[in-house]
Amino acid sequence: MPTLEPGATFTHERTCDKYRPIYYGAASGDFNPIHIDPEVGAQAGLGGAILQGMCTMAWAVEAVVNAVGDPGALKKVRVRFSRPVAPGDTVTFTGKITGEGEGGGTLVGTLTAKNQRGEDVLKGATFEVAR
Amino acid sequence: MSIDPSNVGREYGPYTYTLGVEKMREFAYAVAGGVPSSSFGGKPPPGLNPIFWDEAAAKASKYGAIVAFPTFAVNFAMKPFTEAVTDPRLGIDLVKLVHGEQAFEFFDVMRPGDVMTTTGRLTEIYEKAGMDFVVMETESVNQHGRRVVKAVWTAVIRR
Repeated sequence: MPTLEPGATFTHERTCDKYRPIYYGAASGDFNPIHIDPEVGAQAGLGGAILQGMCTMAWAVEAVVNAVGDPGALKKVRVRFSRPVAPGDTVTFTGKITGEGEGGGTLVGTLTAKNQRGEDVLKGATFEVAR
Repeated sequence: MSIDPSNVGREYGPYTYTLGVEKMREFAYAVAGGVPSSSFGGKPPPGLNPIFWDEAAAKASKYGAIVAFPTFAVNFAMKPFTEAVTDPRLGIDLVKLVHGEQAFEFFDVMRPGDVMTTTGRLTEIYEKAGMDFVVMETESVNQHGRRVVKAVWTAVIRR
């Protein structure tokens, strides 16, 4: 299992393929029409169907969990959704361990998530993992 | 039209949900670029951690069972939030709603057969930058009475 220490960085990349909002909808139960129906997404001013923010967040969690190697190590995660992800977008996640949590039993870190145009799709993303 | 702040404190739930191993696998497949199916096209995407899908590998792990991908929790923990944002007493136009922020705190892993009971409480309703914000905190407890997930859900309603 990888050993992470303050200062360590990691990256992760995911592309939102055409059917990802439908697949994530099926897996999560989030069938809000703005994710499933491009016409509804367009009416909402989103330019078409957009990916569930919770799928983008899941990818951010995947970035952390892959780096740590243990899904049970994730203690806290927080994100702000700053821009929609649409089919065709590729999101690059870059995580950094910034320090220790209170008591030293955990590590804390920050995460960025940028689309292929370099725009942030998440802001203020933070996490805490058991060490 | 702003949202009536007297809804702060309103509680939703309890809602119960039993975790099933196939749904847990399918969630992990969907996040990792695969198809959430046990038949058509459904298989573990390359590189997916076996703890999320392989019975034998998971049994040999420290958890002794397949565990859910952490944000699988949306399947049960989101319910009070969706009930609140569709509650006529809040009067939210869903087409104008976006998910603004999200936080999770995990206290244990989730295993097949776990029965989660989730309750939610509206903690904040406010206006900022011409938009309405609705914040809910949820807590999910398993069949052993152990708290497993706490979450904070923030909806933003554009005008």
